[in-house]
This record gives sequence, C-alpha cells and structure tokens, in this order.
Amino acid sequence: MTKTAEFIGQTLADIFYFPQFGRGILSVWRRDFLYFRYTILTTLAWIFVEPLLYVFAFGYGLGHFVEHINGMSYIRYIAPAIMATSGMFVGFFEGTYGTFIKLARQNTFSTIILTPVGTDEVAIGEILWCTTKACLSVISVAIVLVLLGLMPTANMAPVLGVMFLTCWVFAAFGVWLASIARSFEWFTYFQSGFILPMSLFCGTYFPLSRLPHPIYVFAMFLPLTHAMQSSRMFLAGDFNAQFFINMMYLVFLGVVFTNLAAARFNRRLVV
Amino acid sequence: MKSVIEANQLVKTYGDHRAVDGITFQVGAGECFGLLGPNGAGKTTTFKMFYGSCRITAGELFVLGMNAREHMRQIKAAIGVVPQENGLDPDFSVLENLLIYASYFGMSGSAAKARAIELLAMMQLEDYSQKDIDTLSGGMKRRLVLARALLTRPKILFLDEPTTGLDPQARAWFWNELRSLQKQGTTLFLTTHYMEEAEELCSRILIMNKGRSVAEGAPRDLIKSYVGHEVVEFDIDPAKIDQYIGQIKNKFAYQVMRNRLKLFLRDNQTAADALSEVSSPNITLRKASLNDVFLKISGYELND
Repeated sequence: MTKTAEFIGQTLADIFYFPQFGRGILSVWRRDFLYFRYTILTTLAWIFVEPLLYVFAFGYGLGHFVEHINGMSYIRYIAPAIMATSGMFVGFFEGTYGTFIKLARQNTFSTIILTPVGTDEVAIGEILWCTTKACLSVISVAIVLVLLGLMPTANMAPVLGVMFLTCWVFAAFGVWLASIARSFEWFTYFQSGFILPMSLFCGTYFPLSRLPHPIYVFAMFLPLTHAMQSSRMFLAGDFNAQFFINMMYLVFLGVVFTNLAAARFNRRLVV
Repeated sequence: MKSVIEANQLVKTYGDHRAVDGITFQVGAGECFGLLGPNGAGKTTTFKMFYGSCRITAGELFVLGMNAREHMRQIKAAIGVVPQENGLDPDFSVLENLLIYASYFGMSGSAAKARAIELLAMMQLEDYSQKDIDTLSGGMKRRLVLARALLTRPKILFLDEPTTGLDPQARAWFWNELRSLQKQGTTLFLTTHYMEEAEELCSRILIMNKGRSVAEGAPRDLIKSYVGHEVVEFDIDPAKIDQYIGQIKNKFAYQVMRNRLKLFLRDNQTAADALSEVSSPNITLRKASLNDVFLKISGYELND
C-alpha cells in the first residue's frame, strides 16, 4: 500500500518535471528513423491493410445492417475512427514495446547517455519518434479512406492536426509506461484494460450518447473521445468553440505524459 | 603533474547502503590509473559518477577542471567511455553503430565516416564493417566498443573492466592498444579485478573495499609495503595451524587460507629464514605480486 501511495505521490510530482530540450532529441529520433527504414515496407503494408480490414468488416459488413448515423452512411461515420484508432495503436505499441526493448533489453539508452545527449532528450526523442510513426500511419489510413471516397478532403488539415495531437498523447503515454515497466507482460493490462476499450467506447463506432450516463461522463476524460469529437466536427465543417476544449485537453495530456516519461527516464537511466 | 580527474570525499548511498563511502584521489594527465577491488567494492559505482550514469550523493568531482554536478554535458563531450556492458546496438551493422554513436556527439557526414573507418582498421575490424553485431565474437565486440569510445579522440578514456571475459590473446592485444594510446598522451582510467592487468598497465592504483579506499600507490610500492619482496606459500595440517602461527607470528607477516599459509618476506628476510621454520611437503617460494596485496587487504572470503 505504501508503495502505491509512493508511486502516486512521485507521479504527481513528476507532472511538474520540466525536461531540458536539446539537439540530442533529433539524434535519438534519427536513430529510430534509420532503423525504421529497414522495416518500412512491412510496416506500411500493414498500415494500409489494417484500415481496409476495418472498412470491409465494419463498413460493408456490419454497416449493411445500420441505416444511418448522424445523417451519414455507417462507413463514412466510422472513417475518422479508423484513422484515430490507427494512430492510437501505433503510437501506443511503438511507445511501449518498441521503447521497452531499447530501454531494458538492448541497453540502447544507457549507451546514448554516455555521450553529451541527456536523459530528457532520450525520452523526448523517443516520444517524437513514436509520434512520427503513428502520424505516418494516420496519413496512410487517410490516403486509403480518401481513395475509397469515404472521407472528404475538405477540412483535412485540421482533422490531421487533431490526429497528430492524438498520436503524441498515446506515444507519450506508451513511453511513460515503458519507463516504469518491469516486463513486457505488464503492457497487456493497459492494452486490454485501456487501449482496446477506448477504441470501442469513445464515440468511435457508435455515438457517445448511447452510453449510460456514468460511463458517458467517464468517457469524457478519455483522450480518444476528444479526438473523435473534434475530428467529426471538422469533417462536418462545424467549427464551434468546442474544438478548442478538445485540443487543449489533448495538449494537456501530451505535456503531462511527456513530463512523466522524461522524469522516469532520468531516474531509471541515472541510478 | 596536472591532475585531470579529481574526486573529493565522494559518497554514494542507496538507501542505508553506502556503496561509495568517502573516496578521494587524483589522476594526472597522461597517467594510467586503476581502480581495483573485489566485486561489490564500489568501483563501478565510483566510475559511473564520473560520466553521469550515477548520481553523486555527496562530495566533489572534477573532470578536466569541470565540476561533474554542473558540466556533465561538456565532460561527456570530452571523454571516451568503455562501459562494462557493451551496449552495442543489435539493430545496426558494425559501421552504423559507430556512425550513430558519432551523431550523438554532433559528428556527421564524411568526417564521421572517415574516422569510423580509420578506427575499424586500427581495431582490425575493417572486414566486418557491414556485419551484424550478433555475428561478432566477444573480443571483437570489445574492440568495437573501444573504437566507439575513441571516435572523438578523447583526452581521457574511462574503461570499466575492459578485458573481462576475453581470452589471453584478445587481452594482450587490448593491453597493447591501451599502452599505445597512453603513449600518444591519452589519460587512462580503468577498473579491473585482474591484478595482472593492473600491474601491466597502471602507473598508479587505488584498491577499494566496501566503498572505501584501502590502499593507493604505484603497484611496485604497494607490493613492497604490504607484502614485501617474496612469498613462501605452503600447505599445513589444519590441526596444527594454530601452533605454527604461534611459532612464526613474531617473525613474519602471514596470511591463512584454510589449510594454506603464506609468509611474506621483508627486505631483510631471506627465503632460508622462512624455510627453516617450515616442514611441509608442498612449499612454493615466489616473487610477491599485486595479487598478494589484494588478497591481504580484501581477505579470502567470497564477496557475493
């Protein structure tokens, strides 16, 4: 019990850890990008295949039984959800598994800090990389959806903006989890307890208003809800002030998780 | 001699455990200085504080005149480190490992590549530049880590157990390389638990035990002052051991390890003096070594 209390106290304090930025962030990012080049074809193939699976299963399959949601066909309704969940999954998996291998198995980071690059730059470079990879997946999903005629290209810029913020939040969340993890198995709790439910209940495949009130309130704290709300508004050409709250909430979570990750990296790499 | 490394009452605690308990020493420019001690003595912890992989609990630390608490980034830019764990990146080839590491120092492009290729040749790894890390032997990996540490032509090289796990040829090759670096003016600071390595390379050593400094000096001086010039070693019936000790304890410095007794001969004592006191089927007379100093200071018990 005291351990849990200690963890919570430490984590609250870590929110106010302000990391040092430096050129090392780009070197760390570049290292990950260079490795990505070797696997780019398999990764991109998967990123293109995955949205197609969703489109066929939910859109043409399940969508056949659904008349309309908010005045649009089901497949068009879920199009932004496919984009956002893809960014969420890629950011989270790269942040957790991808980072943890380098942190705990390959000693990649403890070697990097023998150079002038500091631990904050390592953490932020990792988050930047995971965000980049997630953004690439969002972009490729967007390309697929636009080519299939399922997403209007008007207002695409603000939609991508929201998606990129979402990628950052989940990348930073994943990297933070990696920094406190002891084993790979540990990530499963967050995967099935947090990430998967979010992909289903945050106004992704059906409107939030269908949820019982207490769950609806809970969903309002989840980042994916805000990504869905604002991206749907942008796609509908509706720019009311609500989007500002959505964006600010995502930025707030992104900053919090980035600070938490940087603080933990510092304590884990410098003993 | 100008000192390039300075530790003043250095302390590192983990909870109640004092891993490093007030260490003070200096290393002069161009010197080869060795930190010795049994496992758990605090060598690596002391070492890691110099390059920022370990937080300083108390005390002062300077590298090239820069305070380690304030200027770690500048210190790390000026030194080379061979850590105990290789930390080579299995995602990349041999050459890429060097180029990526160089990029962390802001070295890039053709200058970095030229330096990397030069070092691969120096370490006899030029045929392996495109190979995966997993295909290298232990000795090759160690050479690659040395090459990595030398990319920026550092003035000081930190080596944490540089030759642990290497075969005798690889070790001799490594020593030779380190000696030539020292001749070119590089200051070497290493930890080791091979006494042979310390005697071979170090102009001065510091022996640590349980976080404290227990002896410091040139290997030859330490041997002379702690054990003398020669050692008589022999087996003895355990039942008679106390009787023996009673007989010799006012004449010789000695050390017991189970049923084996070591007598240390001072300058004014000869082997004949010792042999006249001993009757054992298994007697050895040999020159005193740093190993004797080490065992005399840290004892025979296992430390972990």
